[in-house]
Amino acid sequence: MNWKIVFMVLAAGLTVGLLAFWVACQAAGEENTVVRYDRESKYYRIRVVDYPKEGRRCLVFSKSRGVQSSMILEEPDQLDLRYSRSMMAALALHPAPKQVLLVGLGGGSIPRFIQKHFPDLHLDIVELDPDVVKVCQEFFQFKAAPNTRVIVMDGRMYLKRSSQTYDVILLDAYAGDRVPFHLTTLEFVRLVKSRLNAGGLVASNLWEPAVNRFYYAELRTYQATFPQTYLFKCGDSGNFIVFGSLAEQAAAKDGWAKRAETLAAGKVFGFNLAALVRSEYARLTDRRIAEEPLTDDKAPVDTLRHESPKGFEEGQPQ
Amino acid sequence: MTMRLGILATIFISGAAVMSLEMASFRQFSSYFGDDISIWGSLISVFLGGLAIGAMAGGLLADRRPALWKLGAILTVGGVLVLAMPFYSETVLDWASGKGNDLPKDWGTDSQDASGLIIYSPPSKHWQALGTGALLFGLPALLLGMASPYAARLYVRELKHVGGGVGLVYGISTLGSIVGTLGTSFYLVAWMGTRWILWSNAIGLVLLGAALAAAHGLRRGKQAAA
Repeated sequence: MNWKIVFMVLAAGLTVGLLAFWVACQAAGEENTVVRYDRESKYYRIRVVDYPKEGRRCLVFSKSRGVQSSMILEEPDQLDLRYSRSMMAALALHPAPKQVLLVGLGGGSIPRFIQKHFPDLHLDIVELDPDVVKVCQEFFQFKAAPNTRVIVMDGRMYLKRSSQTYDVILLDAYAGDRVPFHLTTLEFVRLVKSRLNAGGLVASNLWEPAVNRFYYAELRTYQATFPQTYLFKCGDSGNFIVFGSLAEQAAAKDGWAKRAETLAAGKVFGFNLAALVRSEYARLTDRRIAEEPLTDDKAPVDTLRHESPKGFEEGQPQ
Repeated sequence: MTMRLGILATIFISGAAVMSLEMASFRQFSSYFGDDISIWGSLISVFLGGLAIGAMAGGLLADRRPALWKLGAILTVGGVLVLAMPFYSETVLDWASGKGNDLPKDWGTDSQDASGLIIYSPPSKHWQALGTGALLFGLPALLLGMASPYAARLYVRELKHVGGGVGLVYGISTLGSIVGTLGTSFYLVAWMGTRWILWSNAIGLVLLGAALAAAHGLRRGKQAAA
């Protein structure tokens, strides 16, 4: 037996095999797409992927399920992802919003929409990753505006260290396919509440394609903090928006939808906000949830995500 | 024989406690300093620093009349420090991570990028995280780090077996660390929350210290009788 030849044949075979595997992966994964940007940042692997047939550009973190953001290249001010439309219902729930905070810039869909339709709104955006801001400017038409400010830091640290208050706070901070644990707890939601002006509200995006114990624990955390809570199910996208409001009175479906009509009057949103409110509106305040709120001390989010939920229960809320 | 097994069990438990505390510290710190790789790096460095200084100090101490009860005392003091930690850690973290008016309120036109975007990047707080980590976890890590060379000194009887004995003690300690890491991240975080992880480790260390002191007394009694 000539070991040298055996070894060389094995090595050659392995090389060819790996090469073929790599080519196959490339062909399977990147069909009909053009990768515009693919680089490691301090926090993620950031990728900008174009789908020329659909005319879409998406922001993808790592290889996580789903996309962070999607933009129609011809109509960049359109809100392409369903959840971002539902989040805009927050602007109709508040009687007269002036100061808005967005936690999590992503591909900048919400900032573009707000800058176009509500240029008078003061918009502060907190984004953790400086490279995401750069990518958003370079590939997602995110532009400077007199009323737009960007703060590059962790969302929770910003809220803690700044005394600025807001009428509406939009929470959309995702590390890939999950909200970081320190942005899920009762202490964090209370911090958010403390940075709201009187009558202010928060809208938080939850992406849980398969609802689990974490989902209900998070709903319970908001329910335990705010006098009024609502839950919108964003079609079949797997997204849910939790609204928490300081208002003393609960908002009825009709009133909220009518304010959405007023808000949209004379503007071309590209979708019907009032109809969206009518179809997705659900009150969370009166529901009974069989979970404890998450706390800084005890928030086993990664475990709860893999456990089946008990869901809503009959009876009075806690 | 029994004593040597006891020493290995001790080092296994203290090794587990080191990593269990480290995992708990990540949890605590991310609520105040963010879920950031520089925070992880800071805390890992704090623990390694504590273990390093502890190893040197423990080694020096082990050469001066080594005794089981002294090893027990070291672990007990470490346990008591950890036991007390939840009572002051939140205040310290809250203060160190910046509060209230620490950020300017009306910043704006003075910080624009080339495109005119108003953008503000406050300096990272990782040095504060490193300092707070050292303040809270430095001493406990140091005391637990003293245990390994001290235990090795007690375990090794003959000079010609130093290599094997020291290797065994350090190996068992590191295996304990694996159990501490996996046990905490897989189960304890979900079962009891951060505060009780700290307390369980503390109680474990104090009990271990007491057991070592008792074993010391027992051996002395036997020697006196013989």
